Amino acid sequence: MTAGVFDANLPHFALRRGDTGYPPLLESIGKPPDTLYGIGNADVLSMPALAVVGARRATPYGLDCARVFASHAAIDGLVVVSGGALGCDQAAAEAALDAGGRTVAVLGGGADVVYPMGAAPLLQRIVKQGGTIVSEREWGSAPLRPYFVERNRIIAGLCAATLIVEAGLPSGTFSTADAALDTGRDLLVVPGNIHSPQSRGSNRLLFQGAQPVIDLSSFDEVVEQIYGILVLQSEEYDPLGPLPVDPMGRASDRAKLLEALAACPLHLDDLARKTGLPRDKFTVLVSECEAFGLLERGRDGRYHVRLH
Amino acid sequence: MGRLYSLNTCTLVGAQAVPVTVEVDVGQGLPGFFIVGMPDTAVQEARYRVRCALRSCGYRIPEAHMVVNLAPGLLRKTGTGFDLPIAVALLCATGQMDPAWVFQALFVGELALDGAVRTVHGLLACAMLARERGLQLVSAPAAELDRDLGVPCHALESVVRLRQGEPWSTHPSCAVARASACADFSDIVDMDIPKRAAQIAAAGRLGILLKGPPGSGKTMLARRIPGILPPLEEDEMVQTALIHSVAGNDVSNIFAGVPPFRSPHHSASLAGLIGGGSPLRPGEVSLAHNGILFLDEMNEFSPHVLQALRQPMEDKEVILVRADGRVRFSADFMLVAAANPCPCGYLGDKQHDCSCTDQQIARYASRIGGPLMDRIDLVVEVRRSSPDSVMETGNGLSSSEMQQEVLMARERASGRRRKSVARGRVTANAGAALVQSCGLDGKVKRIFSELARNNHLSGRGIMSSLRVARAIADLDDVDSVGEKQILEAMLYRVREVGL
Repeated sequence: MTAGVFDANLPHFALRRGDTGYPPLLESIGKPPDTLYGIGNADVLSMPALAVVGARRATPYGLDCARVFASHAAIDGLVVVSGGALGCDQAAAEAALDAGGRTVAVLGGGADVVYPMGAAPLLQRIVKQGGTIVSEREWGSAPLRPYFVERNRIIAGLCAATLIVEAGLPSGTFSTADAALDTGRDLLVVPGNIHSPQSRGSNRLLFQGAQPVIDLSSFDEVVEQIYGILVLQSEEYDPLGPLPVDPMGRASDRAKLLEALAACPLHLDDLARKTGLPRDKFTVLVSECEAFGLLERGRDGRYHVRLH
Repeated sequence: MGRLYSLNTCTLVGAQAVPVTVEVDVGQGLPGFFIVGMPDTAVQEARYRVRCALRSCGYRIPEAHMVVNLAPGLLRKTGTGFDLPIAVALLCATGQMDPAWVFQALFVGELALDGAVRTVHGLLACAMLARERGLQLVSAPAAELDRDLGVPCHALESVVRLRQGEPWSTHPSCAVARASACADFSDIVDMDIPKRAAQIAAAGRLGILLKGPPGSGKTMLARRIPGILPPLEEDEMVQTALIHSVAGNDVSNIFAGVPPFRSPHHSASLAGLIGGGSPLRPGEVSLAHNGILFLDEMNEFSPHVLQALRQPMEDKEVILVRADGRVRFSADFMLVAAANPCPCGYLGDKQHDCSCTDQQIARYASRIGGPLMDRIDLVVEVRRSSPDSVMETGNGLSSSEMQQEVLMARERASGRRRKSVARGRVTANAGAALVQSCGLDGKVKRIFSELARNNHLSGRGIMSSLRVARAIADLDDVDSVGEKQILEAMLYRVREVGL
């Protein structure tokens, strides 16, 4: 048995079909799990929940969308369910927790097996903040590939709606989308830049009829409709916040730069070409914006607008 | 009989020619031809070559006990250059040649069996030795001697001519050397940022790393950097040509002022890179002296080999130690490196998807420069241009324009150094000297400190950024480094592992 990271003091439970605590929504899916093993608070599984999932190799845009909508869902009182995977899933869980909400992570291996590596702090936080980690696999099961597709049906099955924040083509998230549709749940998708390979999957789902979520007010509307809760009007989200002081008087050039990056992250050469600024001005401007925290350089060498 | 004859020749030790005296004694005793003085195999084989060559040209080889001594006796003699001096000494000793002008000459050459004289490696070094000793050089006709070296260099085509009055012609000292066309930066469309980074590196003689997917144009950029470096000065030309001559390379481009560009394959051995072998030959680092050493696919080089490059970069020379002594080869070069951004190479590529996991990428990033990372001052991403823009050419600065700017930047830098020496403001500490040369005022210092802090720059990173900023300032034609230069320098900084 692989070492779990959770101390035995945290409440462990095992819900079988037919038990009182077994989530009712899960009963209505095609193949409900016989047993749901979990660590933490089992009640959370039966509360109104929204699944927030997305690509593992997410772009800054995808991560930001995951954060924004997950935290909003938490503020609206919904439980946020995801798979605990790298990228969008983890970003959603962190954001929901930061907003004071409760989350559920459905794992591919046993509920006590930490996967992926490095997820232990997040999983512990989920449990500590009133949520739960569940799995249909036995305690100590290794996280094998086929289990991940299977667990996606549980993620969708626990929720009245699933929100996909970013997905490429092909994507593991499609199995979650299919599971949602098969059980008659709502499928919500955030559109992406049509040039971005990482949004091709999400955009295709929209083309096939999924419900678009295009900003906070549309999100609120959809949440009201599906969950029947009244949502207070929230201020429209401004990813940049107020721009810092402009000591070198370059506000318009700076705006040009940030606008050029609005669609997708770019390499320096492409960015230079797009803004049309002369090279010597351009290099100083980019460096300045990076210094002010407006831009960030990703691991692949592309620059993107730094979103909060 | 019994005439003892001696004349001058030399042998190569490292990149220098060391004088050797050839003594021939033709005397009584059992007939035979013996060579003494620690000759290696090639020198021993001179017996056969000399004999056949002289016979083919109609000279008489006496049936006598002939001894050739190559002095000094303890110095190991290598190479085939002794054929000619031995033959000439023999002819003089047997009275078949007028010995009159033999005293003022230094002979070096290999003999063909028909008497023709062949070139050997390192003739330039021999010419330098001849000049030092006030002698004239006699060798086969060699292109590398076709210039004014301050010493008369004579070309002897065959030993058959030694009968005649004027056996040899003089090498023309036409100094006009034409360089083969170097690729031009104007061939490359876009890539303004990498071009700028390359120019900054050239101006400050800094180490630069080009990062990008396969086929993005890193090698293309690297190959054009020699074209924007300042042309070699007179003494640099000779220094560099000497090393190349010893290695047997063509030196015409060097004498045209083009700095050498060496691009060893990543499977190169340590000896190939640093130097070695027997006899000791210069390695790639020495062949890159006063030029560029390009490590393409830097991540494929074994860390062991990269580690071995650190010492020559530090000392600007390589010292090879052997049982019979030490040999120094100069190795002062500019480092240019190219690497992929991740194991599969396609991280950030527009057309291909990267197939690496996050862990693989992080691990790769930490290995990229390996032991040489602290020699890199600029890192720049290179991405292929979009297909449509590849069709346009000729926009952007040409190499000669960029070279002009680099030249002016270097002038300013040397002017500044001269001024500070004149004012007596010289610090032994290179770091302090750098800070001083930047002339940062209070405001810029504050900005820089904050940038350094926010970006977690190490001490080495700070020095590196200042070097880059100083080079940018020289290119921009400003005396002190200002906010603009610091900001641009930060763009090219070596970022933390994994970023």
